[in-house]
Amino acid sequence: MSAPPAGSSPPAPPPGPPGPPPGGPPGRPRRPGDAPFDPGLQVERTLLAWRRTCLSFAAAGLVAARFTAPALGVAAVVAGLAVAGCAILAYVATAHGYAREHRGLVEEDGLARSGVPMLVATGAVLLLGALCASYLVAGILRA
Amino acid sequence: MNAPRRFPGSVYRDGDEPDPRFSLANERTFLAWLRTALALYAGAFALEALALPEALGWRAAAAGVFVVLGTVASLQAWWGWAATERSLRRGTPLPGLGAGAIIVAGVIIAAALVTIGLFA
Repeated sequence: MSAPPAGSSPPAPPPGPPGPPPGGPPGRPRRPGDAPFDPGLQVERTLLAWRRTCLSFAAAGLVAARFTAPALGVAAVVAGLAVAGCAILAYVATAHGYAREHRGLVEEDGLARSGVPMLVATGAVLLLGALCASYLVAGILRA
Repeated sequence: MNAPRRFPGSVYRDGDEPDPRFSLANERTFLAWLRTALALYAGAFALEALALPEALGWRAAAAGVFVVLGTVASLQAWWGWAATERSLRRGTPLPGLGAGAIIVAGVIIAAALVTIGLFA
């Protein structure tokens, strides 16, 4: 993180035709919540990391359903859709969490995260792993 | 910060609130481990679903290694996150990456089992 040297003022905008004011459409006053908390976009990158985790989770569930459907029938489809539904719920929840954290960081300069979502996500992945293990055991028993 | 209680208490009980960016980076590392765990489980599943290799013993051994590695990665995601957050709050050195060695060794072993199984 490089900071500008102390005492220096931000560079003056280059002269030119007057464009829209920085930070939003004209006519809308700029509020503190409009700017990202961190120029490195850490909060946004964390949201994206949650999103691709949700996507991986949903894809894992649906692909597993596709491959187990011949053996398990409707149960596999229901289970796969349930996993995908959980992923969608988690996706929405992380979007709300992002809005909350962004507001908290911009206004109060504090993070209010806890380990609960992470413990739930770990449990969900371990559950998928248990299902995967039972699929392997079933395959060995069938052979 | 007057958040009354944050879970888990073993992480948040003492120490000072670190730079939020560090906590967020720690959270992304957690998520990366979780996706790694999913990928390892998917590897185990794919070997069985595609019957690769056809020899059952080798296939089961390789898939079993992948399941174990996926579980190691899941546990590393959670315990690593908690240990790192604790270190950040207390200003102590960050934990090492012992689980990384297990994953590397395990992937090599699983790849060897699949390769042997293909030609056995």
